[in-house]
Parts: sequence; structure tokens; C-alpha cells
Amino acid sequence: MSATLSAFSDQLADAVEHAATSVVSVHARPRLPSSGVHWRDGVVVTTDGTVRRDQDIEVTLPDGSRISAQLAGRDPGTDLAVLRIPPGRLAVAKLGDPAALRPGHLVLALGRAGDRGPRAAFGAVSATAGKWRCWKGGELDLSIQSDLTVYPGLGGGPLVSPDALVLGLNSGALSRPLATTIPVHTVERALDQILAKGYVARGWLGAAMQPVRFSAAMRTRPGIGHEGGLVILSVEPNAPAALAGLMVGDVIVALDGHPTTHPDQVLELLAGDIVGRSLSVELVRGGKSERADLLVGERPRTAR
Amino acid sequence: MSTLFHALAADRLKESVVEIRLESSVGTGFTWGFDVVVTNAHVVRGDRVEVRLPDGQMRSGRVRVADRARDLAVLDVPGLGLSAVRCRDPALLRPGEALFAIGHPLGVRHALSSGVLHGLGPLPDGYPVAAELRRRIWVQADLRLAPGNSGGPLADAQGRVIGINTMIVGGLALAVPIVEVESLVRPRAA
Repeated sequence: MSATLSAFSDQLADAVEHAATSVVSVHARPRLPSSGVHWRDGVVVTTDGTVRRDQDIEVTLPDGSRISAQLAGRDPGTDLAVLRIPPGRLAVAKLGDPAALRPGHLVLALGRAGDRGPRAAFGAVSATAGKWRCWKGGELDLSIQSDLTVYPGLGGGPLVSPDALVLGLNSGALSRPLATTIPVHTVERALDQILAKGYVARGWLGAAMQPVRFSAAMRTRPGIGHEGGLVILSVEPNAPAALAGLMVGDVIVALDGHPTTHPDQVLELLAGDIVGRSLSVELVRGGKSERADLLVGERPRTAR
Repeated sequence: MSTLFHALAADRLKESVVEIRLESSVGTGFTWGFDVVVTNAHVVRGDRVEVRLPDGQMRSGRVRVADRARDLAVLDVPGLGLSAVRCRDPALLRPGEALFAIGHPLGVRHALSSGVLHGLGPLPDGYPVAAELRRRIWVQADLRLAPGNSGGPLADAQGRVIGINTMIVGGLALAVPIVEVESLVRPRAA
């Protein structure tokens, strides 16, 4: 008998049914609607790539009613867009912890298109990894890739565990061929900032740099103590780096106490909640070790 | 010992599934009743078909009905001798339920593909297919099909047929709901 399979099949259908109570259809582009998750009461999260207009946005709720929604803001860096709807209209998503996911775990992708029932896809987690900076500039706390097919209109819908918990938001735009999920913690982090100011602020130094290795002679000098660092190639006028007195040719060997050997380490530092914080900079200038204090600015919005 | 697989239900369903052979292509069909096979209309041409049984024997069949609009065909196949499939109304299924398909994708005989129910009804606006096809009622499955699966059964976890695999749109497997066959073949033979 296939009793166990039938039971599993029922469990998947239950998970779809329960999780779908917080999944909406988002009408923010021509023709094909995308999907969204009622993440907090009155707050719907979807993918930035599927929200093509800033106004005249509507969402269709699980009960079939179509209501107007306001764009609260976007974070193209992590492919998130946030909409506001009147509170109390539908269930809030039950969130799970995607950090527990391992390759082989079975997962569902959910979506909704207009006033019809939920749409489902099923697959397995293919690969997981730690922090991942997407090509669009944002950083995901966790890289979750799966063999799920994100069918047209399923983008912005949730990744759901077989026990009906939302683990993140599926994005069709962040990578191929595997489906990428924006994990719960990344959504939470971006959501707080978007609800507060409409966008996600990213740290900014205003300096271009590249890795450099010190010569053997340099490494033996007193006070250097580093193999190499990041040499500053240009400094934008009035940018945080300029205000801290950094100059072209300076070699940054540590930021905030962490050795810097690759620009990724700087970008990683700047991706967090860091705007307005002061960083201690260890640098080598003219063969001598020096220190500076740098107040992290906010990346100009035209530069994102 | 776990039974978390389709093998038992699939083994049973396979015994009702045939291959519909044309000169240059292959389709799938399944036994609906005594000496009666159901498939897609686009799988048959003319009024005669060659049918290959699961044990390799060949039978000659005649097209009784070919409804191009619904893409369904009913074949009379004397000496078929296979048992009829069990059916289930797809309207009773929920998205996420486990499904499987049996067919001959690209000529691979009696191949199984597994997946879940994606949805039931017309396709959403914006799917890359003619509006008239998009608006039909489909059993939509998240399941991999290929040419050669056409006309074959889409079944639930217990092997009950819910649809006839008909086309692939945007990667999604589309099947004609099994209930549409009933209006073509009435009364159903035991």
C-alpha cells in the first residue's frame, strides 16, 4: 500500500492550505500578477523585480477580494518590495528558521494568481551557504538554493516547509538556474528599515581600493604587522573617507580591528547596520603605520 | 520499511498504459474500459492507430471519437485485454498533493515522473499560450513531461487517474481533467 505516501501527500496539501492563508496575489505589473506574503499585520512583502509601478497597486486576498495597496518602499539590493494594506484582513505568516535547512530538505513554493486558489511547487533544497552578497548589491544572511521551479507568477511567494512555516521569499531574479530564496532574517532586517524610511541604507566610504601585498622589506618594519591591505585608488570629495583624512596611496590594513585583504570584507562590513557608526582605520602611509577615525556615511541613493 | 514512493501504485497503473505509434512519433494512452483506450486527439491522425501493449504485443485500433477542441480521443482496440484505470475527480484534490505521470517521454517506455498538484483551472494571465487555450480548465502539475507523454495518465498518490497529460506551458504540465472524458464515452464500459 502507498499509505505513507498518501499521508505525506496530505501533509504537503495541508502545508499549502495553511501557509496560503497569508499568501496574496500582487497586481503591480502588466498582465501576470506576482505573489506576496502578509508578513506582519498590514504589511505585504514581495520581490522588487515584480513591482513595476509605484502607484495603482492592488492585491488579491485569499478570500478573493481585491484591495488597493500602497508601496512602503523597496530594496533592489535584496530584491524586496514592501506594500501596506489595511490591518486585520488576513492571517499573518508563521515564520520558521531557514538556518536549519540542509541540502535534501523538502520544500514547497507557494503563490497566488488573482482570485484563484493557491499554486504550489515542490522540490528539495539543493545548496545552502552562509552570507551571500547578490549581484544587485544587497546581502542575504544565508544562501538558500533549491530545485523548485519558480513558475511565472510564483515570484515573491514564500518558501514553505512541510510543516507550513514560511522560510523566506522566492526570487526569480537573483540567480539561475537554481531558485534563490531571500531568507526570513534578511526580510526582517530590510523590512524594519523600509517601514521606517522607505529604503535600506547601506554604508559608504567614498573610496575605491584594491588589494596590495607589502614587500618583504616593508613587512619587517616596526608597527606594520600585516601581509598587505587595500590601497586607496581614489577618494570622492567630501565623502566619509575624505573627511577622515584618507588619501590616495594609503593602504588600509584593518577596519574596526578586522584585517582587510579583500574589498569584499569592506563591503560585508558596510552591508550591515553601520551607517553613522565610527570605525577605527589602521593604515600604512609612506611606510609608517597610522590610525584614523572614519564616520560611515550612507551610500548616495543614485549610486545603488 | 518505508513506503514513501510511487512504485506500487505506478506498477499497477503501468499495466493499463499503452503506446500509441505513428510513423515518426509516439504518444501515450490508457485503458478506459473494455477494449477502449483514451488519449489526446493530437496523438492520432486518420482513423487507424497502432497500439503497443505493456508486454510488447501490437494491436490495431480504430478512432471512435477525436475531439480536437478538447484534445481528447477515444479508441476502440479489439483484443486489448487490459484492466481499466481507476479515476478521481481532480476537483477533490488540493494543491501540493503528490502526483505522478506515466508515459513514453521521447520514446522512453513507461517512464514515471513525479511532482505535485500546482493548481486547477485556467492559467493566469500572461502565460505564454493562446488565450483560448489559457482559459480552459486544466489540471496544472509541477511535474516534468516531454513529448511522448501526450495522452498519458496523471494520477494521484494512490494511482487514481485525474487527468490526461496534454501540453507543457512555461514548464508547467497541463492535463485535461479526467471528468471531461466521461462526456465523450458514455456509458462507461465495466
